[in-house]
Amino acid sequence: MTYLYGYLLIGAVFFAVVYGRHRLRKGNQPESLVDVLEARNPNRNRLSYRLVNHVLVPVVGITLVIAAWPVAIFFMVKERLDHKGSSDSGPERAFAVERQHLLERLSVAEVEAREVVVDPLQAVPELPFGHLNAAWQEFLKGTRVDDELWAFAAHWQTRWGRREVREGYVTVRDGTPGAFFMTARKELID
Amino acid sequence: MTAQIAERLRYQGMDHALCTNPLSDYFALGGTNPGFESSCTALWRGYVGTWEIIGERLYLTGLTGTLEDGTEASLETLFPGFPSRVFAHWYSGSLRIPQGRQLEYVHMGYGSTYERDLFLEIARGVVVATRLRNNGKAADNAPQGYGIAGMTVFPRASKGDRGVP
Repeated sequence: MTYLYGYLLIGAVFFAVVYGRHRLRKGNQPESLVDVLEARNPNRNRLSYRLVNHVLVPVVGITLVIAAWPVAIFFMVKERLDHKGSSDSGPERAFAVERQHLLERLSVAEVEAREVVVDPLQAVPELPFGHLNAAWQEFLKGTRVDDELWAFAAHWQTRWGRREVREGYVTVRDGTPGAFFMTARKELID
Repeated sequence: MTAQIAERLRYQGMDHALCTNPLSDYFALGGTNPGFESSCTALWRGYVGTWEIIGERLYLTGLTGTLEDGTEASLETLFPGFPSRVFAHWYSGSLRIPQGRQLEYVHMGYGSTYERDLFLEIARGVVVATRLRNNGKAADNAPQGYGIAGMTVFPRASKGDRGVP
């Protein structure tokens, strides 16, 4: 019996250390993501949802950790080792145009002809890409004579989970898409 | 995070709160962002734009805000030579206009819900469709129209010592 009490005591201490560490770390982080996820959950006000998430899950979790702490330690160590070996642990992947996103090869003149913005109230400069013409000129400065120019459309998910279609024009150098000029980012809604 | 002050939209002769920021897309697509000063937690973007639908087209007709150097921003700050109206040709997507009484207050972004949402679907600055979504019936004493409950205002003198939202 003494061994059992000792085992459970170690489990309780282990839980206290892990929980304390979690609270310390959480104290340095913004709550915004938690708020966002919570606000988007339509069930958040239901009693059943609150009972499960705020009572049942914590109680079961604490019981499992105290009863099976060697397993918890095993998974913690495993996760840490896996994380060290993972190549995905760097910063968030930046948006880039890939070959499968390419739609149509065009010349600069063709792009500029199709992208002139006209407004009956003259509330835009009648230039390619209108109010964004300066950004377009800046993009062209970075292109070389032998670069190809392609229209593209790509699906993308932001780090906040927003799914978008991104469209625009991209330079292709030696067969590889590179710098791009984005003209639209439309949210995809189910 | 704090509930955010909405943009303003004049549509069919009436003024509405607009819970979409079309200028964010302008900046994301390469438009010059002069750097707005965020004066309070309810306005992290630092400006309020006034928009209008004229002849099925979306125009930015006004802008209030303060730049990081302390100067007041106007439409001309962003769009020199266009002091009164700017065609928002860069914007494609939905504009959300909440209507009716408040169903639920969420103290975050444009998270609060209202009895109805009017969505204007925009393609390259032109209204291509509209749809109305019914979200439910609010209590009779629920507040009418878009609103926010509170904010922390940053005193200009203590710019580097901002409060926590």
